[in-house]
Amino acid sequence: MLGLPVINNLIALLLWESFFVLIIMPGFAVLGTLLLILPWIERKMVGRMQWRVGPREISPRTRGIIQLLADSLRFLFQEVIIHKDAHKRYFLQFPFLYFIPVLLPLLFINAGTAGSPLVPIVSDYGLQLMVALICLMPVFILGLGWASNNRFAFIGTVREAFLYFAYEIPFIVAVFAMVVMYGTSNSVGVVDAQAGGLWGIILNPIAALTFFIAALMATARLPFDIPEADQEVSFGPFVEFSGIAFGLAYVMGYEKMYVLSALMTMLFLGGGSGPMIPGLGEVSYLIWFVLKTLIVMIVVVNLRGVYPRYRLDQGMKIGWNAMLILALVAVAWSLVIGAII
Amino acid sequence: MEDYKNANVRNLNSGILSPFRRWSSKWSLWPCHFITSCCGVELAHAFASGYDGERLGTLNLGISRQSNYIIIEGTITRKMARALQFVWGQMPDPKFVNVIGACGQRGGIFWNSYNITHPSDIVPVDAFIPGCPITPEALLRGVRATQDKIVGIDRKTIDFKRVELPFEKQLEERMVPTSPKIFAPTPAIKVDVGRDVDWGEELKENLKRDLNGLYESITITDTNCIAIKTTRENLKAVAQKLRDQMKVDHVKSVNVIEVPHERKFIVEYIASSYTDEALMPVLITVFTEIGLKDPKVDSLSPIWESANYSEREMHEFFGVQFDGNKGMGRKFVLAPDTPDLPLRKEFKIAEERYVYEKGMSLDECMVPIEPPKDLYTPIPEEFIEGAYDKDEIVVPIGPHHAGSGHLRVTFRIKGDIIVDAIPEPGFVHRSMEKIAENKLYIQNVPLFERLAINDPVNMNLGYVRTLENALGIEVPERAQYLRTIMAELSRVEAFYYDAGIFSLFFGHTTGFMYAMAIREMVIEVLVKISGSRSAPSFLVPGGMRRDITDDVLKVIDNLTFAIHKRMKKFEDIFVYNPVTIARAKGVGVLTKADAIRCGMVGPFLRASGVNYDLRKIAPYEAYDKLNWEVTTGDDGDCLGRFLGRLAEIKQSIRIIKQAVDAVKRIPGPILSDDVLGEYKEAANDIKGNFFRVFGNLVLPKGEWTTVTEVARGTLLFSIMSDGESNVPYRVRVISPCWMNLRGFMEALKGERYADFWAVYGSFGYFPPEADR
Repeated sequence: MLGLPVINNLIALLLWESFFVLIIMPGFAVLGTLLLILPWIERKMVGRMQWRVGPREISPRTRGIIQLLADSLRFLFQEVIIHKDAHKRYFLQFPFLYFIPVLLPLLFINAGTAGSPLVPIVSDYGLQLMVALICLMPVFILGLGWASNNRFAFIGTVREAFLYFAYEIPFIVAVFAMVVMYGTSNSVGVVDAQAGGLWGIILNPIAALTFFIAALMATARLPFDIPEADQEVSFGPFVEFSGIAFGLAYVMGYEKMYVLSALMTMLFLGGGSGPMIPGLGEVSYLIWFVLKTLIVMIVVVNLRGVYPRYRLDQGMKIGWNAMLILALVAVAWSLVIGAII
Repeated sequence: MEDYKNANVRNLNSGILSPFRRWSSKWSLWPCHFITSCCGVELAHAFASGYDGERLGTLNLGISRQSNYIIIEGTITRKMARALQFVWGQMPDPKFVNVIGACGQRGGIFWNSYNITHPSDIVPVDAFIPGCPITPEALLRGVRATQDKIVGIDRKTIDFKRVELPFEKQLEERMVPTSPKIFAPTPAIKVDVGRDVDWGEELKENLKRDLNGLYESITITDTNCIAIKTTRENLKAVAQKLRDQMKVDHVKSVNVIEVPHERKFIVEYIASSYTDEALMPVLITVFTEIGLKDPKVDSLSPIWESANYSEREMHEFFGVQFDGNKGMGRKFVLAPDTPDLPLRKEFKIAEERYVYEKGMSLDECMVPIEPPKDLYTPIPEEFIEGAYDKDEIVVPIGPHHAGSGHLRVTFRIKGDIIVDAIPEPGFVHRSMEKIAENKLYIQNVPLFERLAINDPVNMNLGYVRTLENALGIEVPERAQYLRTIMAELSRVEAFYYDAGIFSLFFGHTTGFMYAMAIREMVIEVLVKISGSRSAPSFLVPGGMRRDITDDVLKVIDNLTFAIHKRMKKFEDIFVYNPVTIARAKGVGVLTKADAIRCGMVGPFLRASGVNYDLRKIAPYEAYDKLNWEVTTGDDGDCLGRFLGRLAEIKQSIRIIKQAVDAVKRIPGPILSDDVLGEYKEAANDIKGNFFRVFGNLVLPKGEWTTVTEVARGTLLFSIMSDGESNVPYRVRVISPCWMNLRGFMEALKGERYADFWAVYGSFGYFPPEADR
C-alpha cells in the first residue's frame, strides 16, 4: 500500500509538519470540529448555569452532542432569501469573503513549545500580520450590514464601526506590550520566550486582561454584545441573512473567537507547552495548545450567563478610557519588567 | 390557504436528501419570537428553567429570517394579523406554524369580539393546542406534535364525529333553553345617583364654593365618590378650577356612555389628586351630556395630560370629537379594517346560540369573522417628514421584534439619541369592554382575568370588589385574609415576570430564567389553591369559591421561607450586577412633577416619590389589619423603578406571612350571607350552587367605580348599571399599563436608543393588560 507513489506522497504531505498544523491540528479540522461542539458546550453550560439542561432529546445518551449538526444541516437546506432592497452581489459575497481574514491568521499560529515550534509559516512579522488580519475582520461585517440595507442592520453596522475603533487601539497596544516584553514579533520567538512556565500572563497580567476584554469586544460576546444585540437590533448586520448565509455568519463569530483565543494562548499561555504525553511525540504539544484554547473559549462563552449587555456609549467609554490606559500601563510594565529580566 | 396546507411538509419530503432534511428540521425548530397575547406568559415558562423547551432543540430566536417556526400565542387581532402575515412571509421555507391557546382556534373567550381574526385564515397552521391559557406541558407537547408531523407520524388525537343522540325525541318535548340574559328595553342611565353616606358634605360645600356657577349639580354617589354635572361649555373651566384650586392633578379614566334612546352621550372624566393627601382616595367624576348628533366636547388633555390617550381611545370607540386633542380622526388602538365606532350600541356582536336546529350546518354556528383585508397601518405623515433633512432616522420597533412585546413604538433618532417616540398600542385589543356588555355579571370574572394572566388574582379582585361595593356585600373576615394572601401571591408573580423581562431586555438570559423559576414556585402554590396555573377565577362576589385548607396554608407559609434563597441568587446574578446598574441607573428619569402630570400609577409613581398606595390610602380586604410599609423612591429612574418593585416583593411576602398566621385562627365561612341568600349550605364551597347564587346578579342603578391596587398600579372598573338588566350597560376598565403608557413615552425622550429596553423593562409594560 505504502509502495504506491501517490498515497505515499499524500501521507507524507499530510504528515508534513507545517501542513499538518495548518490543515488538521490546530488548524481547519479542529476548528471545524470545535465549531460543531463549542455552541453545544455553550448551550449546555449556560443551561446548567440557568437551572436547566439545554439541548438533549436529539440524542439523550450523549446529552445532545449532535444538536449543532441538526442546526447546521437545517440552515444548509433552508431557503436563502435575498430581499429586493439588498445589494445582491455583496450580500452573497461577503459571508464567504469573510473567511479570508478569519482563517489566514492560523498561518502564523505557533502551537508548539519552546525549542520545538509547530508553525505553518515562520515569519519575523508574524504577530503584526495576525493583528493586521484580525483588524481587517470588521470591514467585512460592515460590508455585510451595508449590503443588507435594513434599518437594524444599519444601526448594528454603525455600532460595530464605533466599537471597532474602541477596542482596536487597546488591542494593538496590548500586543505591542508583549512584543516589547519578548523582544520579538516572531511567533517562534514569542513561545520560546515563555519557556520554563514563565507565561505571558504572569509576566504581564495587565496586557493579558486588556487583550481578553478586547477579544470579548471583537467577537461581540456579552457584556459587549452591542453590535449584534438581538433584543435591540436583532443581530444587527446579520438581520436579513437566512439559510446557509446566516449559518456562515453565525459560525463566523465562533471562528473569530477561535483565532483570538489561539492568539491569546500563544501570547499569554505559553503556546503548546505542557508535560509530554508518552507515545504522542510533538502531537502532545498540539493537544495542550487546543486544550488551552478551548478553555479560553469556554470562559468567553460562559460570560453569556453572567453579564447583561453594556450600552454603546458605555462600551466605547470602556474602550477609549479604561482599556487604553490599561494597555499603555501594560507597555510601561513591559519596559520595566523587560529591563529587570 | 388550501394550497399552502402542508406544503412545507411536502417540501421536506422531496429530493434524495429528504431523510436528512426531515431529521434536521425536526430537531431544529427555532421558534421566532411572535408573542401575540397572554399565552406568551406560559411560553416564557415553557422555555425557562422549569420546562426547558431547549431540550427539544427549539431555541427561541427573535428574528424571522433565521427561524423556521412560529408559535402563535393566542389571540390574533386585526391589527396583529398584518404582522403575522409579514413574519410568516419573511421566514425561509420550510416553516411551520403552531397555534396555542383557545383564542387562536375559534376565538375562545373572545369568540364574538369585533377585533379578532382566526390565525388559520391568515397562515397555514400545522398544529393547534387548546387551553386558556395553555400549560407549558401542552405547549411542548405541541412542539413534539409538529416534530412528529415533519417525520410523517400522524398524531391526530381528536376525531370529530357527529353523534345522533337516540333520545332526541324526548329533548324536543322539553322546553328549549333560553338566554339567561335580561336586557331592559329602555334602560335608565344616570351617572349621579345620590346615596346617603356619612361622607363628603364638607367636600361638597367646598366644591360648590369653588365652582360657583360652573356646575349644574354636585352629588355624592358613594363613599369617596362625588359627581359634578356640568355643561359642555363649562367642562373646561371646571377642570381648570379643579386643577388649580383643588389640586386635582390627574385623570384616572375617561369614559363615554352612549344612551341611544335618549339621544345623548355622557362624557365623564374621573379625576383624583396625588398632591393633596385628603383628596387621594376621592374619585371626582366630572361629566357632561351631549347630543348624539355631531358629538363634540372640549378636550381636557391640555389641563390633564393623563387624559390624552384615553380621549383618543374614546374617540375611536364612540366617535366623540375631543376638540384640542391632536390625535382626533386618527386610528390609535383599532386596526384600519376594524368596524367603525364599535362600542356604540347600534353595533351588535354575535350572541351565543342555545338551540341547535336540525339541518343546520356547523358553519352557521361559527361566528362569521371576515379575514382581514386592509392591513396597512401607516406611521403619521408629519412624524416622518423632515426627518431626512434634520439628519434623523425613523425606526419603528415592534410588534414583532426580539425585544418588544406587542406594541409598536416609532422613534425618531438623531445619532444615538431618541428625539421623539410615538406609541401604537392595540395589537392585543380584544375588546373586553364590548364583550362584557353581552355577558352576565358573573361571566365577566374570567373575562377580566385575561387582562393580565401574570397577575390574575388582582384582576379578579378589582372586578369582584366593584360588584361587592355596588351590592353592598360585606366579605367574611376569613375570606378577606385569604383574598389578601392570593392577591399578594399574584403580585409577587407579576413582579417576577416583569423582572424576568427586564433582564431579558438587557440580554441577560440567566436573570430571566431565575425569575421564571421563582414564579414557578408561586404558580405551584396557586395551583395548590385553585387548580389553575394562571387563570384561577377563584374570587367571586362575596368571597371566594372554596376554602383554603390548612395543609395548603402550610405550603404557602413554606413558600415565604423557600423563596428567599432563590431571591438572593437572582439578586446576586442580576440585580447587583455592575453592568445592570450601569445600564439602569439614571436612565429614563421621570420626575415627580412629570409622573403626576402623566398620571402614572402604582410602583412607577411611587418610584418617582409620590406616596400613593391604595392599599394604605383606601384599605380594602385585610390590608389595614396587617403590618407593612409602602415603598417609595426618589430617583424615578429605571433602577429605582426596578428596585422599588423588588422591595415590594419583600413587603408582599411579609404580608403573606402575617396573613397566613392570622387566618389559621379565624374560622368561619368564606362566602358572605348577603350574596348567598337562601343557599346557606354553600357558605364553604360554592360548588353546585354557583349559577343559582350568582346567575341573576343585578346591580343597583347608577355608576359604580372602584379602584384597586394591582401589581402594576391602579386598576379602575367603572360599571354602569340600569338597575334592571342582569348584564352591565357599560363597563369601563382602565388598567395600570394603559395609564403608564403616557409616562413611558415621556421617560424615553432624550435617552439613547438602547435605553428603550431599559425603560420598557422598568415600566413592566404588559401589552395585553394595556390594550384590554
